[in-house]
Amino acid sequence: MILHILNRPPSSSLTYREALASMGPEDRLLLIEDGVLGALPSQVRHFESVTGRLFALREDLAARGLDGHCDAAVQVVDVDGFVQLTEEADKTVSWS
Amino acid sequence: MRYALLVQGPPYSRQAAHSALRFARALLARGHTLESVFFYHDGVYNAARLAAPPQDEPHLVDAWRALHDEHGTRLQVCIAAALRRGLLDEREASRHGKTGHSVEPPFELTGLGQLIDLGLGCDRLVTFSP
Repeated sequence: MILHILNRPPSSSLTYREALASMGPEDRLLLIEDGVLGALPSQVRHFESVTGRLFALREDLAARGLDGHCDAAVQVVDVDGFVQLTEEADKTVSWS
Repeated sequence: MRYALLVQGPPYSRQAAHSALRFARALLARGHTLESVFFYHDGVYNAARLAAPPQDEPHLVDAWRALHDEHGTRLQVCIAAALRRGLLDEREASRHGKTGHSVEPPFELTGLGQLIDLGLGCDRLVTFSP
């Protein structure tokens, strides 16, 4: 299992399409930095193909005033959870 | 686990370096080892010896240095990316006939081969790009 890390939102970058296209059936996707905008109900549809494997970083949501505004399909993790996700993955791939 | 981080974002203008520092502290708090932080592309500006940010802002250069002092983390800087951006240690400054230097230990100018070694030798290599 690979952890994919995306720091761009679907509203301003198409990088998410490359990330999704490269993901295996068990791979997970973590949204960080401006990427957390993709976890909002208005944008989360772009990540339908990875439902249940989609995460967003709490600190970056909070820094943007968005903590608590995530779609219910997104699992919110703090930076400790970010480290844990990297422990559970065989390797990580960062998309930007 | 043994971790290494690759930082490709400059300090202050983008979030990458700040994200990497936060991740570094979190992995150490979970009991892991941070072997090295490798600075590449504009990330080499994190090694600027003369950085003097306002006192009420995070001092990234000092924060990286603290990782080295407290946890033995190596701070490796791609020499090719550094030289073309004016980041030279004493040896390189002398070699290029420059007065003064802008990189000092514990930051070390090194080659991309070291990055390959980190990828091969560490359990996890996590990249933070702008």
